[in-house]
Amino acid sequence: MVKRNVIGRKIGFAVLLFMVLAFVLIPFIMMITSSFKPPAEQTLFPPKVLPKKPTLEHYKGVLNPNVFPFLNYFKNSLIIALISAGIGVLIAIFGSYSFARLEYKGRGIIQRGVLLVYMFGGVLLVVPLFQIITKLGLFNTRAALIITYVVQTLPVSLYMLGNYFRTIPEAIEEAALIDGCNRLEVIYKIVLPLSAPAIVSVFIYAFMISWNEYLFASVFINSEALRTLPIGLSQLFYTQHYIWGRMMAASLLTAIPVIVLFLSIERFITGGLTFGGVKG
Amino acid sequence: MKRKEAILGYWLILPTVLLIVGLIFYPICYNLWLSLHKVNMNPFKPNTFIGLGHYKKVLTDLDFWMSFKTSIIFTVATVLGTTLLGLGVALLLNREFKGRAIVRGIILLPYVAPVISLVFGWKYLFHPVFGMANYVLVDLLHLLPKHLNWVESPQFAIYAVILFNIWRNFPFAFLMILAELQTIPVTLYEAAEVDGATAWDKFRHITLPELRYVLGALVILRTIWNFYKFDEIYLLSPSVETVPVYVYEKAFSNFNFGEGAAITTILFIFVLSFILYYVRKVLKW
Repeated sequence: MVKRNVIGRKIGFAVLLFMVLAFVLIPFIMMITSSFKPPAEQTLFPPKVLPKKPTLEHYKGVLNPNVFPFLNYFKNSLIIALISAGIGVLIAIFGSYSFARLEYKGRGIIQRGVLLVYMFGGVLLVVPLFQIITKLGLFNTRAALIITYVVQTLPVSLYMLGNYFRTIPEAIEEAALIDGCNRLEVIYKIVLPLSAPAIVSVFIYAFMISWNEYLFASVFINSEALRTLPIGLSQLFYTQHYIWGRMMAASLLTAIPVIVLFLSIERFITGGLTFGGVKG
Repeated sequence: MKRKEAILGYWLILPTVLLIVGLIFYPICYNLWLSLHKVNMNPFKPNTFIGLGHYKKVLTDLDFWMSFKTSIIFTVATVLGTTLLGLGVALLLNREFKGRAIVRGIILLPYVAPVISLVFGWKYLFHPVFGMANYVLVDLLHLLPKHLNWVESPQFAIYAVILFNIWRNFPFAFLMILAELQTIPVTLYEAAEVDGATAWDKFRHITLPELRYVLGALVILRTIWNFYKFDEIYLLSPSVETVPVYVYEKAFSNFNFGEGAAITTILFIFVLSFILYYVRKVLKW
């Protein structure tokens, strides 16, 4: 009787687990398989999951610069995401060290102010930021997106890094201070090496946010040459490139880099830095 | 020494403060100023002061109130959906089993992938003519009488947009709740079992109270974020006109920046009062 109960529970668990996975994965599975379907199969009814005659033509089309400027969009996204994540992490390292270890008047207020910013963003700021960016002559430049993304990711980066820095035993830092290092040397020689995994994770997280961002990219950039992937892809929908297979291929090629990066830091994000780990 | 440390502290936080003041706090104030002006389409030409005109116009505009209502429906449905689903899945996976790490990774996929990619996948899945969703719901299971135009008709698009948001964001709730569940001491459950508690008793009297803060934080964060969520809605179906979509169209399709600024100011006040109310009354911080 007891054994049967255990088996029943196991089956119940398996069924529920399968349902959850199906719910999560079905859109991805359809995207992957459809990206290999020839155009005629894409609009078949009833729809099939697997392609009958798999083809690579959509991937070739997406990656061929004469057909679609995917690689140019990819390059733009890469440049913007790398630079904004780099600057963001650098600023966050100093800021979060300041929060974690140094004592000064007003620290609490600044900290709370930064956390409050975590709750704003996006649509609340797009109208004034557009005016400011234009007045500064930064409309249609990468710089406009880079500074916006740095600020968007800063609060969470500060929070994540600050939490991590607090886990480093203070005694190590004090020993170095007694040995004659100054604070900046302590950061450089002790804190940075010890928190390398945290810094990489925060970098990847910031990279991801910039890579995925649509709203500001759609408003600040108007030249074809500077478009990022989200904007380039959304245009795809309204042009002669409107072929489902090609759209699925382009979507997957856009998603895969960030998914791979994220899965490489997932353990780190789940293990301890959860709150505010990701924003969206 | 103390003084020196304090000065270093200020220097290290200075770049952050400058960026946040310059690109968050200043724009919010500037937005207030813009909302009181007729903003010239050319940003280098002067704006004309018109006082509260935009606010009057917005607050008496039926379209604005419709979008407000849509936003409320969207927010309530998605906050409930993401939190409950996240809770359910976290409870389900809060045990040791083979492949748990992989399953957890898979569940996070929708949250990590770019919205633009996911939206195309969903548009394909929910295509009115050859989409899998209609095929399964109508032709296979006969749950619906006829094929629906899920993402393009305003009537049904709201369901698609809500479902999409729940699908995309429940992993966030799942992650936070799971992390919290793992901190609950097993001894609490063991003691309850000795007293003859059922699974439901344990959930009600141990799990839920322990999750109180994480659930509270989730609800407030998701409410705020979903209330001004733009990309997931606009890209999947622009016909679901929530307040953010309304602002975007006012400001960047019709170039009515003043009115756009007035609406974002209203949105901002709304969000801020929600934060203050919630923090005081519900979380009792």
